[in-house]
Amino acid sequence: MGLGSFHFDPYSPAIDADPFPAYQRLRDEFPCFWSEEAQMWILSRYSDIVTAGQDWQTYSSASGNLMTELPGRAGATLGSSDPPKHDRLRGLIQHAFMKRNLMALEDPIRAVARDVFGQLRGVGEFDFKDVSSQFTVKVLMAALGLPMGEDALVPEHEVRENAVLMVQSDARTRAKGPEHIAAYNWMQDYASKVIAMRRANPQNDLISNFALAEIDGDRLDDREVLLTTTTLIMAGVESLGGFMMMFAYNLATFDEARRAVVANPALLPDSIEESLRFNTSAQRFRRRLMKDVTLHGQTMKEGDFVCLAYGSGNRDERQYPNPDAYDITRKPRGHLGFGGGVHACLGTAIARLAVKIAFEEFHQVVPDYKRVADQLPWMPSSTFRSPLVLQLKAL
Amino acid sequence: MAHITYVEANGQSTTIDLADGWSLMQGATTNGIDGIIGECGGSCACATCHCYVDDLLAGVLPPPSQGELDMLENVVAERRPNSRLACQIKASPALEGGVVTLPECQE
Repeated sequence: MGLGSFHFDPYSPAIDADPFPAYQRLRDEFPCFWSEEAQMWILSRYSDIVTAGQDWQTYSSASGNLMTELPGRAGATLGSSDPPKHDRLRGLIQHAFMKRNLMALEDPIRAVARDVFGQLRGVGEFDFKDVSSQFTVKVLMAALGLPMGEDALVPEHEVRENAVLMVQSDARTRAKGPEHIAAYNWMQDYASKVIAMRRANPQNDLISNFALAEIDGDRLDDREVLLTTTTLIMAGVESLGGFMMMFAYNLATFDEARRAVVANPALLPDSIEESLRFNTSAQRFRRRLMKDVTLHGQTMKEGDFVCLAYGSGNRDERQYPNPDAYDITRKPRGHLGFGGGVHACLGTAIARLAVKIAFEEFHQVVPDYKRVADQLPWMPSSTFRSPLVLQLKAL
Repeated sequence: MAHITYVEANGQSTTIDLADGWSLMQGATTNGIDGIIGECGGSCACATCHCYVDDLLAGVLPPPSQGELDMLENVVAERRPNSRLACQIKASPALEGGVVTLPECQE
């Protein structure tokens, strides 16, 4: 088939639902492909994505990293800045996300998981999103130090709903719609209230420390504090929630894997890693070229945007044998489920910890289950992929 | 490209041809060398890609950044003067023939 007949449109509902056949063609036939619809190059092979991810001098994040960027965000957040600014921001927060510093969160996370998943006792059929979203928001609030309980500024479900909405895009206009921008503005407004609250009365939590941080005598500017906080909430809630939906989707779909991890919860970490490889929610991010690059016979020009299709690299048979099989014994080291290089996900340790605890507790209450529907409604997003609803039936 | 040899704590030695720009951590995790974990994905945030570099590498590598030095304080195995984090070392022809020895444990 010629170039003229192949399209890759990351805004298409068909790609939201199942990008993997298109990824296969991209990798095999068009490894450096110009997408007219996205107006950017698509890199789909594992090794090309790793190379680009390592070379931040060439593949810059400073013009934004979301496939469809939010207004005013580029340059002010961790994911949308390059070193040295990136390293300066990251240095302020990453210690809080290191594995050894998360141990104190283990018991609170387990208490949240018992409480949330305990609601499913005796329930025959449920939407997994209802429990995963409650769990996700509570965990993120505890991890970041967002005001909870009597201090809560807004209902928890509003945080979740806006986080999910702000990462979406409109399939028809291939842009953010007014509802997505409104959600982004809601989140910025919420973040600014939290920051003001913590500056007035600092606590021993991440946002207090970040909001008051000084580097070499300079306080971070307000836009950096605001947008980085906004992004931490968005990324935390949406990515953790989206990944939990995908993990539940995989376990509900693959009976053998589900039975194995329910019988032996010690297999959960390996099955989480395989889910991160197999179909993690963070499918695609973008970069912008700082110079011309020639790859696979195509010349990409300085200033062009480039999509790194992590979800495709994770299915590249050049790296992973039999990549379309969900195999929890695979131990897929080097996967791109958290990206890679300087911008690799900040939240890897807390995500792994929280998901493991969540499913240990979920399986205590619901040890066997299956999907109710074959066809699922998928989130309209050029960056992330997860079902909006995941109806499960307890067996 | 550079040929890099990884010597694991059990003595097993593996030499790989590493593409320019790839980190020594990526070279290990994508080639089944188990003595490096790289849990954080290469963002200098977990100290599980600790390695000891040989004199050749020590002579050509730029010194560790402040972020790497800070993270090296978190390594589990003994920290030595030639301790580095493999995610912060990018392959280039200058590293040809370099050898890294891996510690007994990373976490």
